[in-house]
Amino acid sequence: MTKNNATIQDKMETLRKLVAWFDSEDFSLEASVEKFKEAQALANQIEEELTDLKNDIAVVKQSFEA
Amino acid sequence: MEKLRLSVSEFIALTNQTLDAAYPGIEVEGEVASFKVNQGKYVFFDLKDAEGTVGCFMTVWQLRVPIEDGMKVIVTATPKLTQWGKFSLTVQAVRPSGEGALKKSFELLKTALDKEGLFASERKRILPAMPQHVAVISSTQAAGYADFIKILNDRWGGLRVDVAHVQVQGQGAPEQIIAALNYFNQQETLPEVIAIIRGGGSADDLSTFNDEPLVRAIAASRIPVITGIGHEVDESLADMAADVRAATPSNAAQLIVPDRHERIRAARLQIVGLAARVERHVEEVEGELERLLVSAINQTERRHAELQQMVYNLRQTVAQLDPKVVLRRGYALVRGEQTVGATIEIEMSNAIMKAEVLTYDKK
Repeated sequence: MTKNNATIQDKMETLRKLVAWFDSEDFSLEASVEKFKEAQALANQIEEELTDLKNDIAVVKQSFEA
Repeated sequence: MEKLRLSVSEFIALTNQTLDAAYPGIEVEGEVASFKVNQGKYVFFDLKDAEGTVGCFMTVWQLRVPIEDGMKVIVTATPKLTQWGKFSLTVQAVRPSGEGALKKSFELLKTALDKEGLFASERKRILPAMPQHVAVISSTQAAGYADFIKILNDRWGGLRVDVAHVQVQGQGAPEQIIAALNYFNQQETLPEVIAIIRGGGSADDLSTFNDEPLVRAIAASRIPVITGIGHEVDESLADMAADVRAATPSNAAQLIVPDRHERIRAARLQIVGLAARVERHVEEVEGELERLLVSAINQTERRHAELQQMVYNLRQTVAQLDPKVVLRRGYALVRGEQTVGATIEIEMSNAIMKAEVLTYDKK
């Protein structure tokens, strides 16, 4: 569960880097099409995973009564 | 019927047993008078109304809210006859009664804790931006808890949420919340944030969150604490000691996790932005090409003009070297043998003549 969350965070970071590449000195028009496709696919994945993620809620068994 | 004969000690013991049976736990409301603390441990005060007074005794650590003379309070107590024959109430708990007393008690404790620095802004910790493990202290039956969970589930997923079900109002509530705080603070894997959640209620209901030991436990928590207690207007001492105060339980959920819908929207916007970026780059390249082209044309034109000028200058120079031009300036061209007696030809701009060399001397 937290692994999923970490993966989403990783993907979001990758997307952020991909977007930053378009403004960086490394940018080249030749490579931009591939990078754009990559970013688009990643954004779709993030959207899907974020939509599907559920929280794991558990009430602790311990009683807190005095 | 035979009369009961008892020693004084037996009588006192029997009276106390009778009182215990008759009043297993009573609450008495009255105004505090002659409040004092002896040896830093024992609290004595009288509880009075218009027609009567009763002495009260309790220990300092049972006194969870500050009180002073003139305050209206409700005590939970056991009536007792002491071995010296004095009747008093042995108090287990005391809480302010009525809005005025609640406010007074709140202000007294707020001043004292503020002086200790429990509410100082430099003590506040920042909540993790994207926690993965959240602890919640609340009553799972409370509406505030339901609101909190609904917003949390709507906004984000993949979280581990551990919930400590506790009483959030009434006597015993502060101890339960403190026990839950201690429980989470002692876990092997610590949650990244603790949320203390409770919906709206009367001032008396919310007075749980002005309990001194609870406020101290919140301030002492190793894990950052966020409170979402009551409504925006309800500010408790627990809120002041917490690292983050949310206005409501729903607001607490909003402050703990990001909104997945916003993240999705932001990711989409980034992609849309990328297309615009590529277009901008293409336009930049086109612009650069145009600039280079114009520059090349300009360079060619300039070079052409320079060459034309150079040719013109050369023509001028060549023109100056033409012998006819020299003759026109008054010079003459002499042809023939350079010996005495030789006939030479002299050409001028407008005539040609022949002459004889009469002398010839080298310079």
